[in-house]
Amino acid sequence: MKACCATAYQSDAVAAILGDSYHPGGLALTRHLARSLQLQPGMRVLDVAAGPGSTALLLAAEFGCEVVGVDLGERNVARAREAARQAGLADRVGFRTADAEQLPFEDRSFDAVVCECAFCTFPDKPTAARELARVLRPGGRAGITDITVTPGGLPPDLTDLAGWVACLADARPLEQYAELLAAAGLRTGLAERHDDALRRMVEQIDARLRVHRMTTAGKAGSPLTGADIHRALALTAQAQRAVAAGAAGYALLIADKPKEAPAP
Amino acid sequence: MTEHAVPQQKVDRDEVFLEYTKSICPLCKTVVDAQVNIRDNKVYLRKRCREHGQFEALVYGDAEAYLDSARFNKPGTLPLVFQTEVKDGCPTDCGLCPEHKQHACLGIVEVNSDCNLDCPICFADSGHQSDGFSLTLEQVEKMLDAYVASEGEPEVVMFSGGEPSIHKHILDFIDAARRRPIRNVVLNTNGIRLATDKRFAPALAERKVTVYLQFDGFDRETHLAIRGKDLRDLKQRALDACAAAGVTVMLAAAVERGLNDHELGDIIRFGVQHPAVRGVVLQPVTHSGRHLEFDPLNRLTNSDVIEAIAAQLPEWLRTDDFFPVPCCFPTCRSITYLLADGDDIVPVTRLVQLEDYLDYVTNRALPDTGIRAALEKLWSASAFPDTSGPQLECATCGIDLPEALQEATDKAFMLVVQDFQDPYTLNVKTLMKCCVEMITPTDGSSPSAPTTPSATASRSANSSPASASPMSCPTPPNSSPTPSRPRTAPASPPTPAAADTCRRMPPTSESACDDHTPPRGDGEGVLRHRLPVRCRRRDPR
Repeated sequence: MKACCATAYQSDAVAAILGDSYHPGGLALTRHLARSLQLQPGMRVLDVAAGPGSTALLLAAEFGCEVVGVDLGERNVARAREAARQAGLADRVGFRTADAEQLPFEDRSFDAVVCECAFCTFPDKPTAARELARVLRPGGRAGITDITVTPGGLPPDLTDLAGWVACLADARPLEQYAELLAAAGLRTGLAERHDDALRRMVEQIDARLRVHRMTTAGKAGSPLTGADIHRALALTAQAQRAVAAGAAGYALLIADKPKEAPAP
Repeated sequence: MTEHAVPQQKVDRDEVFLEYTKSICPLCKTVVDAQVNIRDNKVYLRKRCREHGQFEALVYGDAEAYLDSARFNKPGTLPLVFQTEVKDGCPTDCGLCPEHKQHACLGIVEVNSDCNLDCPICFADSGHQSDGFSLTLEQVEKMLDAYVASEGEPEVVMFSGGEPSIHKHILDFIDAARRRPIRNVVLNTNGIRLATDKRFAPALAERKVTVYLQFDGFDRETHLAIRGKDLRDLKQRALDACAAAGVTVMLAAAVERGLNDHELGDIIRFGVQHPAVRGVVLQPVTHSGRHLEFDPLNRLTNSDVIEAIAAQLPEWLRTDDFFPVPCCFPTCRSITYLLADGDDIVPVTRLVQLEDYLDYVTNRALPDTGIRAALEKLWSASAFPDTSGPQLECATCGIDLPEALQEATDKAFMLVVQDFQDPYTLNVKTLMKCCVEMITPTDGSSPSAPTTPSATASRSANSSPASASPMSCPTPPNSSPTPSRPRTAPASPPTPAAADTCRRMPPTSESACDDHTPPRGDGEGVLRHRLPVRCRRRDPR
């Protein structure tokens, strides 16, 4: 399922719908996340599910961090590397293909870890949380932004594959994310709601679908058929209602890995 | 001091002091200090004239939006050539001087002061007049040369008036612009000639001219109040002539509170459906020249227009679909684009997070992907429907639908809300970054007789044939605002002479802004900014 999800995220159709900024809140929320993490120049930061790299580049360019981005999709990794090269940041930002549940890094090798709108898509969340905790140094912080849902609040259509790709299907209530992190040894010190970011994201997907319908839908070379668009628009309408009703939202969590107690 | 049993309590002022700036007295035009304050989430400009007392005007109906717009303020661009020198400072010099903060995004040439209408509202104070001015081809050529010297390859020149379509050489002027490296030519017109002269629309189509058509609404009352006669049938015929000839049209409405502000949604809906129309410009009436009675404290501002649009077209637009234009001062102009196809209406602002690109305060270190440059051209005073296609394509290529967007740009519909400062609202801070420039001839031979008695007094010593000056936002092209005498103005009634200075000065008439010798005396043209009103230096005491 995870591989399928990563593939879907790389596909032209999803790219067409989501664009470069794959997470709600855009760059503004990424900056807020970075400030909440108290990132400083020279810090080593891991971006899990880095997509095409825009967050990693921002953290390097604006906060002076050394960033490693991992993503399950090879095309995303290639795009991100190229973006770093074009931005002249290749010396401070690297990307590699990797699985969030099996991070190819040593224990305690990062000052901070960010994961935007991706944790909800990891099938084995306890393992992913443990991996985030493992690679953090004691005293380091994890910053997560993600979709939240009220249990039983989602219409059934949103829980199928399309819903999965759109992050909603396996999203959890905010408290559950905090519990998952706690079980992995990360203490949530800050939890904020940013529901409007999700409203705007869903609206953006809806707008992109409509523009697609105006133009290439169903024509040769189009990744989406008219029927796809029709069905996708029905889903965005449901998602919009879910957001409006408070059944789905967006949250930011900052959790820290406690410093080790001095040896007795 | 009187005695009180209870000690007096200190109380807070009822306003937040925001800016200290300069303005002019709306009556005598003397430059005076001014302050900007916020009360009840509205922004007010207040000033005091030694002779005429205190004046206050509403300048923005939504203080939060006013403050928020500051981050959309783009660093200005230097013109290739400055057009005037710094002498007495802003706004007295009023030219494209080294102190001016922006180059010219849009240059306006007023070709005459004569008009085939006598609207009750006209910021230019034009009409059937025998003593007006009318530029010659030679003058216009020099003015265009000055514009090109300043800009290199100007994006847009707009011919205005008066009513430019009745100038017998208007097509020659357009051809003169077309012979120069000026990308787009716009004709600002009331449409009468388009409706009545069958050859005119095809002549404009042949020259690829965009028509900026005065279009205030659909109610008979609106027409009678703003234009003095019912022009609805004429407007329809003008539009149909443009559609038949293939001329692109922007509808330009002068909007007055309580008069036609209920028609904004209808105007936009009509425009989206009409084959010739590719955009609508909504301009709160500028209270200079001829205008209706108004209350400066309750005038219509950009944010009021945006709120009215959102209220009248809730299925299409929200207030946050409009973004401030970064090239000028962001409170002067807000723009959005609609992609329209049948029932599908998508504001471009829902496709791209504009603040990720046009917020110049926050986005300081991100690599430029080219999307920002494209968005800057779209959110600019030089943006017109014919110019927006390629940029829209580029701006939206961020959505990875290049092919799709190529087609979508054909369906793009532009919405502009444009405020032009008037003698009540003039804020020199804003004026200093105005990017809409009046191109004026400056040789003593040119235009003609000033239209106001006081203006005949003296001719300036200008020796250069053309100049450009910041339009100073107070005088909108086309919007037609009005009465020379602010009837509800506070303070004492103006003297006749003082009131006349409210009128728009024809090029080269005596005005403080023209009141110095341009730096170049070689007979070449210069571009200068010019206030629509004369500003006077404060008398040294």
